[in-house]
Parts: sequence; structure tokens; C-alpha cells
Amino acid sequence: MKREIGDFWRISFWMLIGSVVASLGASIGPALAQQTQGAHGNPVVHLTSAEMMTNSMGPPGSSVEAASLTGPWIRVSLPHATERPLAPRRTAQRTGIDAGAHQTTTWYRVRTDELQADPDTNSDTTSLYIVRWQGAGDLAVYADARLVYHRTFSPGLNMFLHQSLLIPLNQTTDVRPPRVILIRMDSESATRGALSSLYMGDSAILTSQYAVREWIEYQLPYLSSAAFLAVGFFSFAVWILRRREPLYFLFFAIAVLNAVRRWHFYPGLERLSVSDQWLGWITLNALAWQILALHLVFLQLHKRQHPWVTRGFLALAISSTVLTLPFLAGLQGALGVRPLAYLAMMAAAFVLAAVGLRDACATRSSNGLLLALWTTISLLFGIYDWLIAAHRIDFERYYLTPYAGMGLSFLLVFVMLRRYASAMGQVEALSAGLEQRVVSRETWLADSYRRLGEMEQRQAINLERQRLMSDMHDGLGSSLMSALWAVERGHFDEAEIAEILKGCIDDLKLTIDSMEPVEANLLLLLAKLRYRLASRFERSGITLCWEVEDVPALDWLDPGTALHILRILQEAFTNIIKHTRANEIHVATGTDDNGVVVVISDNGPGFSVERALGGEGRGLKNQRRRAEAIGAKIDWDSNARGSRLILWLPLRAAQSSAS
Amino acid sequence: MLRVAENSPIRVALVEDDLQSKGAVVAAIQACSTMKLVEIAATRAEGLLMLERAPADVLLVDLGLPDGSGVDVIRAAAVKWPDCGVLVSTIFDDEIHIMQAIEAGASGYLLKDSSAKNMLDEIRCVSEGGSPISPSIARLILKQFRRAHCAPQGAAPTSTPTPTPTPTSISTSPPKKSRSCSADETSLLSARETEVLELVTKGFTANEISEMMQLSRHTILTFVRRIYTKLKVTSKAEAIYEARNRGFLAD
Repeated sequence: MKREIGDFWRISFWMLIGSVVASLGASIGPALAQQTQGAHGNPVVHLTSAEMMTNSMGPPGSSVEAASLTGPWIRVSLPHATERPLAPRRTAQRTGIDAGAHQTTTWYRVRTDELQADPDTNSDTTSLYIVRWQGAGDLAVYADARLVYHRTFSPGLNMFLHQSLLIPLNQTTDVRPPRVILIRMDSESATRGALSSLYMGDSAILTSQYAVREWIEYQLPYLSSAAFLAVGFFSFAVWILRRREPLYFLFFAIAVLNAVRRWHFYPGLERLSVSDQWLGWITLNALAWQILALHLVFLQLHKRQHPWVTRGFLALAISSTVLTLPFLAGLQGALGVRPLAYLAMMAAAFVLAAVGLRDACATRSSNGLLLALWTTISLLFGIYDWLIAAHRIDFERYYLTPYAGMGLSFLLVFVMLRRYASAMGQVEALSAGLEQRVVSRETWLADSYRRLGEMEQRQAINLERQRLMSDMHDGLGSSLMSALWAVERGHFDEAEIAEILKGCIDDLKLTIDSMEPVEANLLLLLAKLRYRLASRFERSGITLCWEVEDVPALDWLDPGTALHILRILQEAFTNIIKHTRANEIHVATGTDDNGVVVVISDNGPGFSVERALGGEGRGLKNQRRRAEAIGAKIDWDSNARGSRLILWLPLRAAQSSAS
Repeated sequence: MLRVAENSPIRVALVEDDLQSKGAVVAAIQACSTMKLVEIAATRAEGLLMLERAPADVLLVDLGLPDGSGVDVIRAAAVKWPDCGVLVSTIFDDEIHIMQAIEAGASGYLLKDSSAKNMLDEIRCVSEGGSPISPSIARLILKQFRRAHCAPQGAAPTSTPTPTPTPTSISTSPPKKSRSCSADETSLLSARETEVLELVTKGFTANEISEMMQLSRHTILTFVRRIYTKLKVTSKAEAIYEARNRGFLAD
């Protein structure tokens, strides 16, 4: 992608250079043509002077009497421009109806003595090549007083159209070329008439000369303008799909305006379907809007705002459009306002180029810089053309603004392509970056998950260790320790030691049991406890009455809480077996509003709950501590006929489920 | 399964490598007039060899043998000594090992720290066709049957409570392709068997259950044996079905 851009850059650079060279070449073309023709040696005469007179006549006739042209004939050098009549505007405004009275007819007369000298039947026919002319209304050419060419042009069109003319003077080679050529030109009183130098002689040479000029001056810009228009419509389609990018619409607008603006360059010599006034209005204001559109393109490219400049351009475009409306100003008025409008637009173009250049430099936008530079060049071209039109410099020179349009179209296409390519590049880079970010994010996430898992595992193991340790401290550890002391003291009762060790094994088994999932099933937990303690009950000869009923699931049951419950109840059974003479234990379960109740009752002689809780024994206090740790409540109830332990367990987890 | 003659002593075989455990069993049985220790093996290999000889009524097997797992001996015993009741001898009745043993064909288990009386009671119970059970094991069996029942392509060969279906009868009856979870989940276990298991998980003893269901204690213990057999059959059928699915076995 980058290489393509580079290639495009190079091509565009060379085309820029090429177009500048071509423009320069075009402007010095006539001089070169003159030289080649001299070297050729064929009978082609370049006429750089003529006799001229003016009068006021009706429409041209098929022939003209030399006598009717009384003169005075003045020798003028060609190209020649008539002087601008004084105060024409006022006259035109006053009497718009009788247009003929305000037309000036200018006559140019040249003699063809050089061509007469050496008649050669092998050579080609003779033609007259008028490089450029300016007039309004009729143009008529007489050869030896006989009309050979006549066209009536739109006065408005003639403001611009200065097309070359190639007029055959004789149809066959056996006839001598005419001796005297008369060129009759009508012009609006408000405008100047003008005539370039003339070429006369060999038709083949003049035809090729004419064709080259025709190609360079009209067909090339015409074709490029059409091509640009096509790109413009494509751009418009893009804009329809992507409304968020006004640049595409601006490209389209500029392409259309460019084509419209050049309109007066391209039509043939025939009258147009649109009236002269409207044509003039359209082409003039197309420039104003084009300036505005280009300005907006700059703003888009540079991401800058110049509200006052934008408003100024908008005001110029609107006011020019309104003021030059044909039915408001009339033809004469339009002709008068038009130069002013051109001056204003030239100033606007200057501002456009200046602002564009400054922003392009400030934002380092190569696209903007290219366009701004080209605008500057176009402005220079415009001034040059204006000088030609105003007859300040050689009237025969090529107009350069059509090439400015060509260059502009090329540059805009180029800018679009670059933007497109860079957008594609950005998308690629973005997706590549995104992929990379996703990958790194994934690894990071996996890593942090792993670390989190490890941490949780460490913490879980630590918690479990603390739990088992505290349990060991209360039960298994102290039991084993007392067995050890008894053995060490040497006076141990075997049965007692065996009982302690059995208790230790039970403790261990219960600890392991507590870790087996009970699935929130309290009865299963109680069942396991009973199963483990079955042999002890059997040995002690106590009857166990199992009177449990189904209770709701306790979702908070986990190894920690399960062990607390097991220990509380184990302690209760141990106490009954050890400290009472009970021979019957009842275990029952029940449900109250928001909890589950386990009741263990015996038929022993009873004990003082207050003393047991306040005294030296740790049993009851341990049970209470464990109950509190799981958000449960424990209560005792004892009299001479028996004792009762009531353990209340909440349905839902309490504030802390683990000790 | 039952002894030929009621008054002849219960012949007990033992596979145990731990000397003390062995001693405790030997002492307990020798002190009992209705039992006779006929075979003693200390390794897996010896245990398997022992199965080639005349069958005993009850076989006690320790799972952790020096040259392998006692489960292999249990599995072989189920084939070689089909009428012999196998008890797993263990220090702690952890569910995983016990379930493994039951699936291999064990009829129950014996805790090594139980008293001599207890031990003889259990041996007698097994010899009479009963089996011991704990709440944990009951819970696991219930869970297992529910899962097997709900498995989309489970292989339940039969729901009739035939005591010992042979492996051949299983492989010839094609497994059902699929079963619905919503069907009665006791299609494998009978309603009474399920009831027994549920009561065990609630902490009731065999005696209490027999009173509640108005059956003899012996009947309850035979229910448990039957449940163990079904568990073995289910797990075996599942294994066969799985193997067939994976192409390890020809249809």
C-alpha cells in the first residue's frame, strides 16, 4: 500500500511538472509555430499588420463594395484591440431596444501579394487561419469582396469564446488565392473587439497548426473536465453511502462546478440552447461557489475553522449569484458587473490560497499543501488569463485556467485516493493492533486468573488449617495429650486409655465426615454422626430413639459449619454418656418459622445449667461458642427427670458462616 | 448364596497383609464356634490363587495389598466364587473405595476398629445374604442411580429385581437408546429399595427401618445386598455400553 502511494506521489509530481511545462509551452506555442513554418518554406504568410476602419452598418451582405468602405483606413499592427467606447453602460441602459445603433462594425483589410507571386498548382489550397478574435454579433470574411465566411454569435458568448477559425479561401488549386481579404466584425458597444494576427497560405500546414491548437486549447481540457465529472459522480455515490464524510460531496460539487465553469470554453460556434445571459450567469457564479467549495475542502483537510472567511466566501457566492441574475441586471448590467465580480473572485481566490497555505503549513498536511499550492498556481493562471482577456499581454496566447481545472481535478482524485489508502492502512493497523491487544489481554487475564486461583487456594488451605487446628485444640489434641500423660505417669487404666483412643478415632472420623458434602441435608449430617457413634451407644447400653422428621435444606452447610454442628452434638452425646446415668436419649428435629431445631433429650438426673456454664467445665461454653460461630442458638433445659438441649439453626446463612 | 446346611460353620477366607488386623480377625473367628477360617492370603497374587480352590462362604479382603488392589480379587471372586459374600476390610469407610469395591462385586465392608462381636455379626449377616450400609453410601447409591437413570444413553438392562444377572444376559439384551429423566426414577431400584436407602440417609438403623416397614431385619439387609448387586450390574452395563459405543467391543 505504501509503495503504491509512493508511486502515485512520483507520478503526480511529474504530472504536476508536466502540466506546468505544458501550460508554458502552450503559451509560447505560437512563437514556435511561426519558426517551424518559416523553415518549411511553403507559402504561408504571417500577417502582423492590417488596415482598419470602423463604421456602423446593417447585417452583412453576400458581397461588399470596396467603394462603400470609405475609410479612413488606419494601419494597425496585429493583434489589435479596439478601444473601449466611453460610457457605454449608461447608453445601453437608456435604450436597450435599438441594439443596432450601439453596435460598432470594425473592418480589417489585408492584401495577399506574397501569395500571388508564385502560383503553384501542385501546392495545396489556400486558407485563412485566424488565431483568435473577440467580438459580438456577426463575423464575416470577404475574399475579393465576395463573402466566404459568416457566423452570427451570441454577444454574451463572445465575451469568452475566442476560438481559432480556419477559413478556406479557395476550394481548388487552379484558382489564385484572393488578393484582398476583408474581415468584418461587429461588437457590443460595451465590449472591445479584437483580432489576432493572421496566417494565410498552404491549407495543409494551417490545418495541422489549427488542429494542434484546437487540441491543446479545447479538447484536452474538455476531456479532462468530463473525466473529472465522472469521478465527481462516483464521489457523490460514495457520499450517499457515507454521509458522515462531506469531503466526498465537496469533490462532487467541485467537479460539477468545474465542468459548468468551463462550459463557455467547450461549445462549438453554434448558438446555445441556453441564453447568453444565463450562460454568463452560470459560468461566472460557478467560480464563486467553487471557491467556497474549495475552502470547505481545506477546512476538512486541515480540521480547522475560519468562520469569517467561510462567511465571506458564502456572502460573495450568494451576492454574486443574486446580483448577476439576468432578469435583475439585464445583459448590459451583467456585462458591467461581471468584471467587478471577477475582481472580487480573484481577491477571494487569493484569500483562499493564502488561508489554505497557512493551514497546510501549520497542520503539516501534504494533501492540503498540494491543493493550496495548486490554488495559488491557479490564481496566477487566472491573473494571466485576465491579462490576456484585458489585452494587457499578447492576445494570442493560450488561456491557462483550463489547465488549472485539469490540475485541480487530478489533485482532488489524488487526495481522495490517498485518504482512502491511508484509511485502509489505518483499518489494517487498527485490526492488527486490536488482535495484539486482545492476545496480550487474554494472557494477562489468564495469568491473573491463575494467580487469583492460587491465592484463593492458599487462602482456603490456610482457613482449613486454622479450622482443623482449633478443632484439634479442643478435641483430638487434648484427648491424645491426656492419654499420653496417663501413659507417661505409668499408672494408667487400660480401659480408660482405650476409651480415650476410641474417642480420638471417632473425632477423626467425624472430622473427615464433615468434609464430605452433605448437600444442605441436616438429616444426613445427623445420620452420619449417629453412624459414627453407634458403637459407643452400644457399649454404654443407652437406647437411642431416633425421632427425626424432614427439615428444609440448609444451604449454608459447608465443611466448616458441618463440623461445628457435629462437635456440638458429639459433645452433647459424650456428656450424656459420661456424666449422666441416663439410659435413653431422644433425638428429634423440627421446623419453626425461620429455622430448624434439633432437640436432644435424656432421662438422666439433670444438672445445673448455670453452674455448667459458669463453672470450670468447658463443654457447654464450647458448644455455645460454636453455635454462635454459625449463627445458631443453643439452649439447655434440665430438671430432675431429665435434660434437654435445643439447637436452633437458621434457614439462611447468618452474618458469618465460618468460625 | 446361602450355606448348604444351616448348622455347618461359616467358612471364612481372608486376604490381608497387615499382621495385627489379621490377628484380630483370626482371634475373633477362632473364638466363635459357628465360623471357621478356611483360607488366608497376604497378597493379591495369593488371593487370586486362592479363588481357584473350593469357595468359602464369606471372603474378607483388604483393599491396600502390597502387590496391587484388593478390588481385583473382589472382581475375580464375583466370577469364581459367585455364591460367596465379599466384605471389604478397611480402617475408614470412605465412599470412593467402598463404592469401587461394591461395583466390583463386594457385598459390604467391615471396619477394622470394630469390636469382635461386631465383626462376627457382620460376617454372619453377609453369610445370610444381607449387607451393611452407611448413610454416606446410601446417599451415593441414590445419587448414582439417579444419574444413571437420567443419563441420555444409559444402559439399564433390566429393572426386574433378579438377584444375580450374569454378564452374558446383559450383553445379549440391547440397551435402551434413551430414557427420559421425567420417568419414574425408581425404574432401576424398586420403591422399597429406594425407601430403605432414603431412611438410611436419615439416620435410621436396619432395626428401625424393619419396624417402620414392617419387615424383618434380615429382609432389609437383603434389600441392601440386592441394591449392591444392581449397582454392580448397572456400572458393568454402562461400561459395556460405553465400550461398544467407542468401538472397543464388537456388537
